[in-house]
Amino acid sequence: MTASAPGAPGEGGRPGARDIPVWDPLVRLIHWSVALAVLLNATVLDPEGRPHEVAGYAVAGLVAVRLAWGLIGPGPARFATFPPNPAAALRHLRHWRAGAGTVHLSHNPLGALMVYNLWLTLLALVVTGVMMGTIRFFGIQWVEEAHEMAFDWLMISVALHVGGVVIDTLRTGVPLVRAMVTGRKRVPAGARVR
Amino acid sequence: MTVLPTGPGGRRALSLAVLILLQAACAAFFLGDVLIDFEATAANDLAHVWVEGVVSLALVAAIVLQLIELRHVMQRTERAEQGIRAARGEMQALIGQFFDDWALTPAERDVALLVLKGIDNEGIAALRGTAAGTVRAQTAAVYGKAGVDGRAQLLSLFMEELFADDSPDDRAPTARTGSGNG
Ligand code: HEM
Ligand code: HEM
Repeated sequence: MTASAPGAPGEGGRPGARDIPVWDPLVRLIHWSVALAVLLNATVLDPEGRPHEVAGYAVAGLVAVRLAWGLIGPGPARFATFPPNPAAALRHLRHWRAGAGTVHLSHNPLGALMVYNLWLTLLALVVTGVMMGTIRFFGIQWVEEAHEMAFDWLMISVALHVGGVVIDTLRTGVPLVRAMVTGRKRVPAGARVR
Repeated sequence: MTVLPTGPGGRRALSLAVLILLQAACAAFFLGDVLIDFEATAANDLAHVWVEGVVSLALVAAIVLQLIELRHVMQRTERAEQGIRAARGEMQALIGQFFDDWALTPAERDVALLVLKGIDNEGIAALRGTAAGTVRAQTAAVYGKAGVDGRAQLLSLFMEELFADDSPDDRAPTARTGSGNG
């Protein structure tokens, strides 16, 4: 929503590049708030303290809204735009290695799998975290272990997630992190867009 | 980089989004607490927990309604932007049509466009790197070809087009300004 027409040719500095709005404010706010809350819980907040639980609940609320938005939100935010499709993800991986880069306005098929994995892992963290607080599961070993395992898996996933973002940015020339900040993907001239 | 939206519709969408997320964080906190309380509470205190639960669910319902409202705000903003873009494009085509019809030279077209943008003769001379006298001659030629006697009348030709609500096909400049080339 800049002063000039969205998607106008030449906008965004580079000649021939197009700036296409993809991520709405809700998607962007949720992404960076979740990343911040996870970072806080993983580093500075005492796992046994109240703030750890509050941050965890915030993550739960944010992810829940994002999942609802996946049903009723605008095109790029919708599940229907990036359905989980392992076959397409494998194809995408092969194309990656072959060097053919198609620009996806929503998540690419491989990124889509990662996104579902991240959401499920976050929910698992919250569920096991809340379970630890209930009388029924208080002090039960496997719940605590599940919480820790989910956290380890989240860290591995985030590392792969950020790695994938970097590789895709280099492959397609679309600065993806900038898109998650400004909401707009800058697509180089002549790129195949889907 | 424009991180924050600029238009009124964009700002409204942003504040609605922030509001939704704050409420969602609260709702999740209450619901989680209700779950834990529900287990830990003696039967005679359960009424309190039930109230908390119902309030949380009401909050969730409010959030869903606001999500739908946000979607509508975003759709309205998008439609408005499309309208502005279309109007801008149409206006450009219209100006081009007039200029074609008046058979302006390329230099005269540039000058006429700057006149329409409200830049005075000295400004135009500075922008184009020509003498003020040249610009005066060029604007005079434009006014002559358009059949108007100055800047204000030239502008009013286009203003008239903006306020006319006939279909675009009837807007051929020749049909409205018969004095065009004569
Ligand atoms: C705890 C840390 C993080 C988590 C849990 C996380 C999770 C997610 C999720 C769930 C999405 C999908 C967004 C949606 O559709 O709503 C996403 C997208 C994205 N994330 Fe992260 N993220 C994290 C950290 C980061 C970091 C540090 C970066 C920056 C390098 C980053 C860059 C991106 C980008 C660029 C996208 C959009 C990818 C695309 O264009 O398809 N994320 N992330
Ligand atoms: C995104 C959300 C969350 C993250 C990233 C997270 C992360 C962590 C981490 C890294 C630990 C330390 C594990 C260890 O001892 O090695 C931990 C422990 C714990 N977390 Fe979470 N957590 C999250 C959500 C929650 C929630 C929602 C709750 C409760 C409502 C919760 C309650 C706890 C508890 C009770 C412990 C164990 C403390 C102890 O006995 O040492 N967590 N969490």
